[in-house]
Amino acid sequence: MAISSAWLVFCFLLLRHAVVELEASHHVYRNLQVSSSPSEHQPYRTSYHFQPPQNWINDPNGPMIYRGLYHLFYQYNPKGAVWGNIVWAHSTSTDLVNWTPHEPAIYPSQQSDINGCWSGSTTILPWGTPVILYTGIDPQDQQVQNLAIPKNLSDPYLREWVKSPKNPLMAPTSANQINASSFRDPTSAWLGPDGTWRVIIGSKRHTRGLAILYRSKDFIRWVKSQHPLHSAKDTGMWECPDFFPVLVNSELGVDTSIMGPDVKHVLKVSLDNTKHEYYTIGTYNLGKDNYVPDKGQVDSDSGLRYDYGKYYASKTFFDSAKNRRILLGWINESSSVNDDIKKGWSGVQAIPRILWLDTSGKQLVQWPIREIEKLRGHEVHLPKQVLEGGSALEVSGVTAVQADVEVSFGISELEKAEVLNPSWTNPQELCSKKGASVKGGLGPFGLLVLASKGLQEYTAVFFRIFKGHNKYVVLMCSDQSRSSLNNNNDKTNYGAFLDVDPSREKVSLRSLIDHSIVESFGGKGKACITARVYPTLAIDDKAHLHVFNNGTENVQFTLSAWSMKKARLDLESKL
Amino acid sequence: MKLLLLIFLVQSVLQTIYLPASQGAVQPMDVRLIEQTCKQTPLYDVCVSILKSDSRSSKADVTGLALIMVDVLKAKATGTTNYIKTLLRGNLKGDVRRGLSSCADLYNTVLEADIPVAIEALQKGDPKFAEQAANDAGIEARSCESSFSGHSPLTESNKSVQDVSSVAAAIVR
Repeated sequence: MAISSAWLVFCFLLLRHAVVELEASHHVYRNLQVSSSPSEHQPYRTSYHFQPPQNWINDPNGPMIYRGLYHLFYQYNPKGAVWGNIVWAHSTSTDLVNWTPHEPAIYPSQQSDINGCWSGSTTILPWGTPVILYTGIDPQDQQVQNLAIPKNLSDPYLREWVKSPKNPLMAPTSANQINASSFRDPTSAWLGPDGTWRVIIGSKRHTRGLAILYRSKDFIRWVKSQHPLHSAKDTGMWECPDFFPVLVNSELGVDTSIMGPDVKHVLKVSLDNTKHEYYTIGTYNLGKDNYVPDKGQVDSDSGLRYDYGKYYASKTFFDSAKNRRILLGWINESSSVNDDIKKGWSGVQAIPRILWLDTSGKQLVQWPIREIEKLRGHEVHLPKQVLEGGSALEVSGVTAVQADVEVSFGISELEKAEVLNPSWTNPQELCSKKGASVKGGLGPFGLLVLASKGLQEYTAVFFRIFKGHNKYVVLMCSDQSRSSLNNNNDKTNYGAFLDVDPSREKVSLRSLIDHSIVESFGGKGKACITARVYPTLAIDDKAHLHVFNNGTENVQFTLSAWSMKKARLDLESKL
Repeated sequence: MKLLLLIFLVQSVLQTIYLPASQGAVQPMDVRLIEQTCKQTPLYDVCVSILKSDSRSSKADVTGLALIMVDVLKAKATGTTNYIKTLLRGNLKGDVRRGLSSCADLYNTVLEADIPVAIEALQKGDPKFAEQAANDAGIEARSCESSFSGHSPLTESNKSVQDVSSVAAAIVR
């Protein structure tokens, strides 16, 4: 153990002295001619979600906390509002809400990343130093894995990074048979009690998605394992894998290297084919170095998701300051590329969420970080009251385009619930067929957000309750079908079954509304749905918020809504 | 008689050597890949007719076929753009001119954003961006068609672009 650590330290010293300053003074950028000055009026820019002032963003990269400061890196195109010229942009924060931007941290500068600096993760070494493993695109357009370390550890902002002259550390070869266009997104590594680091990288073989496993004693020389950590047939390419432990029976998070009887492991992958992510909960077997999902976990696109709407390329990290596991995700636009170029930007980051294992052990639960609540301003509270079937009540007094709403529904007449047809197994299809305007027995009831005065436009987030086989089934929907009069937008509806028993508990909904994004949490985080909408009428001060009940039966509800203040994404750095 | 036989024999041998390697023809193996690939698209006939008549298909893997289809998409968008420019030189009613200007802008997005993104994503191996870009070309074409309140002078062109866009997106997937 001591020998491995010493070797690692030696290698670092070697790297730091031997590395040539490879940050070239001219950045190699392709000329993507999509420049035109963006529109003045920006009704869709968010006020408290993370996004840079302009241009394209995608995956969050290498999130971490170092010396009390949170770091977010992300895929960014400095030259336009579409994907291309990708670099690692960088911001830091003390609270995950307000951010200080810095210069890009990683950009093409070596053979091993000259054609692109794609996604990757941070690993915090045992003595606290962060290191980054990321995918580079080499001169032959092959996907390879590279190492970068901070240039100056006494800069709390870690603004500059240097790359190993040994890059790429992992690459496709004829010997290892790795597909050179399907080898990307290294995870945070975890350290076994045997002093060996392990990391997984997303890949596929034919249509089988897999997590290629590499091992190292010194973080420089990596050896591919014979078998992947895990794989699943017919799932296609596994992008942005994430592998981490969760405590059984606690909302607290743990370090990525923790193993043992008090934890289960989670493997999440993003599926290139369907643009959905899914995760399973299971057991990590150190001896065999593999992962086996628990019985009953669905290991495919039909499995559990962090979010049943627009949410991709997610990544977690362990926040050692507050002992929580934090989830970040990329929310892309649902508008046309022409609209994106006109507005001059594309993509936002989701509100950071904490993630933990449900008491049932069968799914994860998420909730927005508590820090976001400091942006809550003026509050409107509607005390417990009945909402009759076929009625709606406007919630006035908050800025409807920029609000945090929590509503909780109680149902007394459960016997009036419609019977669930056993063939209705796909919640997204069910929500598409039965939008908010389709009357029901118990439901649809929920919120109408970003609604125009005459309701020509609205986004509905709601529940329907069905009588299933010896239990009640709660369906949660986010209905975008009437969100905008502009038909160039993707107005697909999203849905999820919510594991809540309405006979024993209230059915709750929280929605974070922010101009063109609605992030909804059902059952205190048991099902999450994020949507992007672009109303043409329900913008700025012309948007309205209602609680509605389009079922035949009455429901009771209580509601609290807050206007949200704007987050600062442009804080000055103190150096 | 013997000379005739000799000539016949030589001719048969030469035909056997040269016929399978005729330039530009798509080989049986490639035809299978094209057919398999096109079966997974919503417009089999459009897909097959484009790929079989393109000589680049003979050496292409699926990514190669996708790149060919994106190139055809580019050609159709370029053609439509040129046609729009020609029409705009003429004497037009206000609403038609407005529609055409709108279309010029939409097709500019296809050529300057969608096509380059699709090509780069396919070459570097991140197909979802290529799929979204190819799909978006169809959205821009559809948007162009809706720009005309009355009769659209671009219906055929827009439909053609939408068709190739849906085929390209499906191949990438």
